[in-house]
Amino acid sequence: MPIAKIAALGSTRKMLGFSRQTLEFEGATIADLLRQLPTRDGGSLYDSLVCDGKLRSDFAIVVDGLSLKAGELDKELRGGEEIVTLAIIRSLAGG
Amino acid sequence: MATMQSTPISPSAGRWIPSTCGMCLHGCGIKVQVVDGVAVKIEGDPTNPDNLGKLCPKGNSGLARLYDPTRVLYPMKRTNPKKGLHEKPGWVQIGWEEAYEIVARELGKLRKDDPRKLLCAIGDFQRILLWGWPAVFGSPNFFTSLGNYCGGSYHPVNGSVDGSFAAINDYEHCNYWIQIGSGDGFSSHLHLSGSAKRMADARMRGMRVVSLDPRCSVASAKADEWIPILPGTDRAFVLGMAHVLVHELRRYDREFLRERTNAPYLVKADGYFLRDSEGKAQVWDLRVNAARAWDAVPSESMALEGAFSHAGMNVRTGFQVWMDILLENTPEKMSEVTTVPAATIRRIAREFVDAAQIGASIEIQGKTYPYRPAALNYYRGSQSHANGLFDNITYKLFNMLVGNIDVPGGHLGVPLDHRGFFVSPGEDGMLKPEPHQLHPAPEFKYPPDSTHLLEWFPIGFDAGQLNAETVLNPERFGLNYRPEAMLLYHSNPWWNMPETDKIEKIFQSMKFVVAIDIQETESTQWADVFLPDRTFLESTLLNCLEPPAVTGHALRQPVVEPLGDTRDAYEILTELAERMGFRDDWNDFLNIVCGYTAKPKYLLDPDKRHTVDEFWDRYARSIYGEDKGLEWFKVHGHAVRYRTPEETYLPFGNLRIPFYFEFIKRTGEQMRVRLSEAGMKDWPLDNYQPLPFWKNSQVIEDGKAGYEYYGITFKESLHTFADTMVMPWLSEVSDKDPIHGGILINSATAGKLGIKTGDRLRLTSPAGSIEGAAQVVEGIHPQVLGVSNTITRQVVNNKRVRAKGSHFNRLLTGSMRYTDSATGGLESTARVRVERLGA
Repeated sequence: MPIAKIAALGSTRKMLGFSRQTLEFEGATIADLLRQLPTRDGGSLYDSLVCDGKLRSDFAIVVDGLSLKAGELDKELRGGEEIVTLAIIRSLAGG
Repeated sequence: MATMQSTPISPSAGRWIPSTCGMCLHGCGIKVQVVDGVAVKIEGDPTNPDNLGKLCPKGNSGLARLYDPTRVLYPMKRTNPKKGLHEKPGWVQIGWEEAYEIVARELGKLRKDDPRKLLCAIGDFQRILLWGWPAVFGSPNFFTSLGNYCGGSYHPVNGSVDGSFAAINDYEHCNYWIQIGSGDGFSSHLHLSGSAKRMADARMRGMRVVSLDPRCSVASAKADEWIPILPGTDRAFVLGMAHVLVHELRRYDREFLRERTNAPYLVKADGYFLRDSEGKAQVWDLRVNAARAWDAVPSESMALEGAFSHAGMNVRTGFQVWMDILLENTPEKMSEVTTVPAATIRRIAREFVDAAQIGASIEIQGKTYPYRPAALNYYRGSQSHANGLFDNITYKLFNMLVGNIDVPGGHLGVPLDHRGFFVSPGEDGMLKPEPHQLHPAPEFKYPPDSTHLLEWFPIGFDAGQLNAETVLNPERFGLNYRPEAMLLYHSNPWWNMPETDKIEKIFQSMKFVVAIDIQETESTQWADVFLPDRTFLESTLLNCLEPPAVTGHALRQPVVEPLGDTRDAYEILTELAERMGFRDDWNDFLNIVCGYTAKPKYLLDPDKRHTVDEFWDRYARSIYGEDKGLEWFKVHGHAVRYRTPEETYLPFGNLRIPFYFEFIKRTGEQMRVRLSEAGMKDWPLDNYQPLPFWKNSQVIEDGKAGYEYYGITFKESLHTFADTMVMPWLSEVSDKDPIHGGILINSATAGKLGIKTGDRLRLTSPAGSIEGAAQVVEGIHPQVLGVSNTITRQVVNNKRVRAKGSHFNRLLTGSMRYTDSATGGLESTARVRVERLGA
């Protein structure tokens, strides 16, 4: 089974109850991984971050430094990737 | 009588510590001589290619900020319950524990109730990484006009054209420089000290400068030619020149427009691109006389001009659409708008296109680039207007006519920071527009959350001036809460916002105000608690903000022990986050803005408190590698280098840049639907246009209501924002120059109105009035009154500095009628009546 290093930031950290974790998962895609990450409300991270098969616009997933596009949840993982999940903050006191 | 004698200090005494200047937003490299623990001299760092060893007057006076006797050196709380601009707060010194306890208690209560009730004003540009603290607190509000006053329309357009944040002409290769409403290279804007040197070098090799400005500014005085123009009409001048190039001379860079822009894309009568069944934008293929997908036709076979018939529809190229618009913009008509003679518009247009050398190329470090050594540069004065989007796009399109965007000699994008241009593929072979670079694009929301209606400006900036309308009448805008508290962090919104009277009312309505700053300001007169920050000579950070010719970071480091009992702003904000229970989210936010999501090994631990040094050390290593942490920077001072030609020229590669801004039109249509569904049918959306044209702004219309003259404000290299005006050294220099002493009025106008230098004048605009002493000069347009920003401060604690009078912003209006409906950019010119009150 592939291994992924997860770093969860902000609200995704609160959903998962951890900030860093290395874990084995079944399957091969990001979507598979998200489905195997249980959240505190009894669902999975997939349920919280995905709507109609696409990543919600208020969340982001970064895989080895590259942001995942909304429709790339079926992207295959080789194993060993570093994955960061986060909620997008849209207001930032301007400039 | 006792006399004081100063003993010269040898340059070899003590030690020289490398650091960066903090007297404006940009951060030039400096070295500071420290003798016996006292900073005694600041000079430019000659090893830093950003400022090349140069330093402006502000930088040279930095010691006066460090040792300013009126600095706030200890936490303080207010004892006077009455608040007002001229109410003494009755400060008493308290300890940090008490200060933190009060602030965390008051803001903590608010956060539990509704965090949106916090208004935040932040202006610490060199610590831009910290600007998200309010968002992590839960407030989306932006209660300042600091960035919007100059760049409200400028930054979104730069980001949309080439993924840059700012722009500047190519100092090294430009031969003909048109400067419109800007001090670049002379008195202000991007990294002045180095830019002034670069400008001087360019002039020495023969570069010609033509400056358009209502006032004979420093740039105008030093230019080869000054063209006085009415404020807010610069776009008309440039549209007139574009008319000359396109319709009279028929000289423009067809190859650039066809190959590197979407100018050949076909536009339907409804203003949208003609697309095929796959959604691909179409061009007219001259080989077969038919519409084809843009990627199926070589550029040289694309029609750049023309109207065509396709499937029963009339279509025109995007370029043709603008050509048709420009038909109306004859120099004669634009002369009526600008007061600039038509012959001058024609002459400058011809000089410009002659100098541009369309078709020429240049080899730089073994690579051949187009060479266009003529460019138009612009900034606040020419585009901080209610139609600022049109202004900015016009200037970009005019540059595109000679193909000079991001090529040697031309008009170059300046990235926000070390990350470089934001370049990624968008639709139709185009660069993806990046109008927002300081935060992700806001999503529409009704009711809105933010008092500056961020959610209603999807391609805009942060229209802080709208607070003057929304906070006092939240229901009118659908806001379902009223702000109750304010955080001031190196920002003085009383000073930087239009409609001063309304801003005062908002301050008066606050239940709690906390200030993080170095000195008292007009705004801190309302503060309940003052948390003193450290100056740039006592604190640490890595500096990188809009460097025009270089890239890389320079270290700001403490050169002396901090005075009093101050704390670094990072530490203050982190402590407050911890006490209010969101330090973990604060660390996670910093992880995002520092770019650690792409480099997880550097992620801050949400459960740990990181010191200032730890924070910046990690940031340095994440960018420059493990061997270049804070200790490396302390020794070497900076990692600043010249941008390479590859990093500077044609950053968009094979992607096309927008000539026809279809995405702006589309965004406007989306906004129309959303606002209409929300019941906001009257919300103005008229500036969401794909191409710019001339239309009168509200300021011009105000002339019909008896406001005969134009009021403008101006600054020079002595000052940045409000802080420097209360510094004795700089204030003294300003005082010696008569243009900073009063209201500038042209001698002919003064003669007509019977006004002499020193007479008391009142200027009245639709928003308010100010008074000041007349200063009769030749160097200002006869219909314009000029008010220096140096006379605007009202709260001046240093006895060696005089409070001088009136605040220009009282003349400005913050409503949507004076705001660009697409970008949120504010109108920085006011129509005024002039009264002579007496001698």
